[in-house]
Amino acid sequence: MEQANPNETESLCPVCLKRIKATRLLRGDEVFLIKECGEHGVFETVIWRGEPSMVEWKRAKKPVHPELCYGPVDKGCPFDCGLCAAHEQMPCSVLLEVTDRCNLHCAFCFADSSSRKAEDPTLEKISWLLERAMAAAGSCNLQLSGGEPTLRNDLPEIVEIARRIGYCFIQLNTNGIRLAADKDYAKQLQGAGLSSVFLQFDGVDDEIYRTLRGRSLLDQKLQAIRNSGEVGLGVVLVPTLVKGVNIDAIGAIVRCALQLSPAVRGVHFQPVSYFGRHPELNGDAGRFTLPELMRCLEEQTEGLIKVKDFSPPGGEHEHCSCHASYVLSSEGKLRAIGAANNDGCCSVVPGSDGIKKTVENVSRRWKLLSPAPSFNLPQPSANKACCSGNNPDIKRAEGPLDLDDFLREVASRSFTLSAMAFQDADNLDLERLRGCCISVISSDGRLIPFCACNLTSRDGKNLYLTRNGSMAR
Amino acid sequence: MTDSANSGNDSEWVCNLCEMSVKERTVRLQYQRTIFALALPACPKCGMVLISEELATGKMAEAEQALEDK
Repeated sequence: MEQANPNETESLCPVCLKRIKATRLLRGDEVFLIKECGEHGVFETVIWRGEPSMVEWKRAKKPVHPELCYGPVDKGCPFDCGLCAAHEQMPCSVLLEVTDRCNLHCAFCFADSSSRKAEDPTLEKISWLLERAMAAAGSCNLQLSGGEPTLRNDLPEIVEIARRIGYCFIQLNTNGIRLAADKDYAKQLQGAGLSSVFLQFDGVDDEIYRTLRGRSLLDQKLQAIRNSGEVGLGVVLVPTLVKGVNIDAIGAIVRCALQLSPAVRGVHFQPVSYFGRHPELNGDAGRFTLPELMRCLEEQTEGLIKVKDFSPPGGEHEHCSCHASYVLSSEGKLRAIGAANNDGCCSVVPGSDGIKKTVENVSRRWKLLSPAPSFNLPQPSANKACCSGNNPDIKRAEGPLDLDDFLREVASRSFTLSAMAFQDADNLDLERLRGCCISVISSDGRLIPFCACNLTSRDGKNLYLTRNGSMAR
Repeated sequence: MTDSANSGNDSEWVCNLCEMSVKERTVRLQYQRTIFALALPACPKCGMVLISEELATGKMAEAEQALEDK
């Protein structure tokens, strides 16, 4: 029998993208988003499975509204993004797509990028976009994305431009192919002011790469990490998680990341969402929710990582992400730090304070303070030996610690696990969207929340972005 | 606490409540979930711990910032 626990919100019809009412409904230990379009019928999507429950996964924030808006409130959320004055969070991070071109053709691609020759934005245009974003968003982090940004030879110049405009933390979202092949290029990026590399890294087994990315890539991923670490760029591994492909690899990815610390600063998991380019939606069976990920981490690392290490976010909406912070000592002791869920404090965090902390913490934890020592790469294709880094067998540490030891190690040996649950047309919750703190800088210089920007209807119609450089809305 | 000697390293702190000289002992300081073990002066009777301004605004503040959650 269904337990009545209605939680009213709004969403879109996944077919016609019309705004419709939606309800979050608890059924057993699962939460579903249920919505009805007068024309296209009822839609039901699982959005949360099991413990920690959605009810306890809370972090209240006072809404904060953008002061400089590139567009009026007219048709209502999500049709006025720019951001609009009704948005309830400031960006902690803005994302710029510096090219639409890519040297892979992945089965899953949020940006639906391709190898086709599209015209890249000029440096002048990029400069204008970055200044406009800075004016509206204030001091926040910058993600250089694409397509594959490293296809641009002038990427170091773009980093320099961003630095001059005032972005203090600049991350590169990349597949790593060029960083593996061209260490000088990595060095140029670091010299220009790049802070961190977000490396697409789906597993420690080439079968996973062949399925998701169309070819074996593990050796190149490891070389990209090595090159980045040696030139002083911290790397965050970013696995796209797909059921039936790499859910079983979650524990191995974490162990590999820990072995490659401090060059690898953490892992940022992205359970697959159905926008951009993706195989056919496999209904709820294909959904992998945040609590499932947290439990998988504990199970697959045999308790090295625990569910209780994770907290809801201070920046974005509480249902969008989870994160856990650690210090990995030089003796291989992994210690969870930071607030456990709900034990930080009981007050409501003003949105702007949460964003400030998020910006500062991301910068501190995902940067590499000095070049990382080289590590021994496995022999080519000896994929199972991926975890042959420099660190001893890693064990979990509990109990009191020495303050001096902590201060010495926390600056250079912090390690972060996090995950972001992006939204698609089926599971979109407009309350979450209004709390979004990651904005894409559109080609016409507006700020569009990431999930709105990339959202596509079931037949591929864009809510905002079209891939020829123009905006659908 | 009262600093009875009032002179740098030679100072001798006394617990106002118990009127006993403090003695160094291992105490546990907790911030969020992290617990630090430190040797600090404490009242042997009531357990009141003396934390110097230098420690509070120095290493403890640094640790608090490092532990601050996003």
